[in-house]
Amino acid sequence: MIRVFRSELVRLVRPRLLLGWFGLITVFTVMANFIMFSVATGSTQAPTGPGVSFPTAAELASPSGVVAGMSAAASMFGVVTLAFWAIAAGVDFQSGLIRLLASTERRRWKLLAGKATALAAVTAVATTVAIMVTTVVAPVAAKSSGVSTTLWGTDSSVMLSGWANSFLSMLVWGSIGLAITVVLRSSALAISIGIGWVLVVESIVGLALDNPSWLPGSTMQSIAAGGNSAAEFSTAIGIGAVYIIIAMAFATVVMQRRDITD
Amino acid sequence: MNPAISITGLRREFGRTIAVRDLTFDLPTGGVIGLVGPNGSGKSTLIRMLLGLIRPTSGTAAVLGHSIKDRVVPSIGALVESPSFIPNLSAHRNLLSLAHLGGFPSSRVDEVLRIVGLHGRERDAVRKYSLGMKQRLGIAAALLPNPQLLILDEPTNGLDPAGIVEIRSLLERLATEGRTIVVSSHLLSEIETICDHIVVVRFGELIFAGPLADLVARTSPHVEMRPEHQADIEKLAVALRSNGFSVVTASNSLQVTNPPDSPAQLNQLAHEAGVSLAAIVSVQPSLEEIFLSMTGDNESELAAQRAGQQVEVTK
Repeated sequence: MIRVFRSELVRLVRPRLLLGWFGLITVFTVMANFIMFSVATGSTQAPTGPGVSFPTAAELASPSGVVAGMSAAASMFGVVTLAFWAIAAGVDFQSGLIRLLASTERRRWKLLAGKATALAAVTAVATTVAIMVTTVVAPVAAKSSGVSTTLWGTDSSVMLSGWANSFLSMLVWGSIGLAITVVLRSSALAISIGIGWVLVVESIVGLALDNPSWLPGSTMQSIAAGGNSAAEFSTAIGIGAVYIIIAMAFATVVMQRRDITD
Repeated sequence: MNPAISITGLRREFGRTIAVRDLTFDLPTGGVIGLVGPNGSGKSTLIRMLLGLIRPTSGTAAVLGHSIKDRVVPSIGALVESPSFIPNLSAHRNLLSLAHLGGFPSSRVDEVLRIVGLHGRERDAVRKYSLGMKQRLGIAAALLPNPQLLILDEPTNGLDPAGIVEIRSLLERLATEGRTIVVSSHLLSEIETICDHIVVVRFGELIFAGPLADLVARTSPHVEMRPEHQADIEKLAVALRSNGFSVVTASNSLQVTNPPDSPAQLNQLAHEAGVSLAAIVSVQPSLEEIFLSMTGDNESELAAQRAGQQVEVTK
C-alpha cells in the first residue's frame, strides 16, 4: 500500500489543486472567525439549523475560544474536503487513468486504501493550514469584537485537540466524498450530492426527524467542536467511524468487483 | 516454448450482447502479433480481460503462465485505448506516479522517456502534448515494468501518417529486443507491415489465429490483364470465360480470379483471341482484401449483433 500511497502523492501534489484546496480552507477560516465573533458579541441573531451552533462570547473568551472558529467552519471545511477528495478520485475515472492503475495494481482495494491514505495526509496539511490561519485571524477578530483573549494560550492542549477534531471531521466528509465518487465515477455528482446534502437535504431531514444527532452534518459538527449539545464527542466519533466504515466498505466492494470499462 | 498468451473458451457477455464468444487460441512468445477485427469485434474487451480490468463470463486465460485471475501478473505493459494521464502534470511526474505504483525504480522513468523519444520534453505538462506524443507517452508507461509482454490497444489511433510511421518504427525496435508485442488495430496495412502472427476476430468469434504467412498462403493471387486497346476488354473476357476462367472486368483491365499456375497460358489465350496485352501481372491480395473476404463488411450484421440478435457467422 506504501507504493500506492507514494503514487497518489505524486499526483496530488499539484500546485493548482493544493492552492485551491488550501485557499478555500483559508477563506472559510477567516470568514468563520469574523462571523462567529461578530455574532457572539453583536445584536445579530445567530443562524440556526442542524449541526449549526455558534459559541457565546463567554465561550469565545475561554481557553478553547481560539479554535472555536474552526469548529464553526466545520461544515464548510467538510464540503471543501469532500469536493477535493471527489476531484482527486474522479479524475482517475474521467481521464481513463484507472485503466492504467488497475492493470498495474490488480488488488484494487489497495488502490482505494492508498488513495484514501494519501488524501488523508493532504487533509492533515489542510487542517494545519486552517489552524495556522485561525491562530492569526482569531485574535484580530476577537479584538475587533471586544472579546477578551487573556485566557487564550493557558491550555496547551487546545490547539492540538482543535486540530485533531477538525481533521477527524474532515476525514469523515472526505471518505464519504471518495465513496460516492468511486460508486458514481463522477466527481461532479459526488460534489453535488455532498453540497445538496449539507445545504438542503439534511436541513429537511433534520426538521422532519427533530434534528437527530446521527445525521452526517450534525455528527461532523459535533466532532469538530469536540462534542456539543447535539452529541458527546465520543458518541460523535463513534457515529463518524460508522460512516467511514460503511462508505469505504461499500466503495471497496464496488471498486473490487466492477468492470473497468472507462 | 510456452505461449505468451493462452486462451481457453473465453467468453464475455454484456446483457444480451456477446462481446467475446468462447475464444480459444495460443499466442507465441516473441515478435509482433496483430489482433485485428472490425470495430465492435471484441478486441478491446479481450484485451481488458487479459489485463484483469473485466471479468470473463466464462473460460480462462493465462498470460505469461499466470492466470488472468491471479492478483499479481508481472512483466506486462499495456496501453488500453487512448493514453490516460493527468493533463496538468508533466510527463515525468505522470510516469513517476506509475513507477511508484508498480514499484519500479525512478530511474526507469528517464529510460522509457528516452526509448520513446520524449526526453527533453518530459517537464512539459501532458496537456501541451500532441496526440502522437501522448501515444508515445502511453507506450512509455507500458514500458515501465520492462515487460516481456506488451499489449497495445490501437496504438496508432488518431495519428497522422508521420505519427503512424513513428510508432511503427518504435514497435519494430521494441520487438527486436525480444519482447512479445500484441497490437490491436483496425489499420490492416499497419498490421501487415509489422506483424508476423495474426489473430482475426469478428463479432467476438475467432476467424483466424496463426502466422500471417499462413493466412496469406490460404488465398491465391489473381492475375490482372490490361489490353493495349480498351475496346478489346470484352473480347478478351469472352475468350477467357470460354476456357473456364472467372473474370472480373474493369474500365481498362480485367482480373482473372482463378488463374492457372502459369500466366503464360493466359497470354496465349489473349494472343489466340487477337488481343495484344500491355500488361499481365500476378497480384497477391492485400491483408485488407483477405480480411474483408473473411470478415465481410456488412453493417447490418454488425447492427444486428449490437442489438443482441443471433447472427450466423460464415467462416
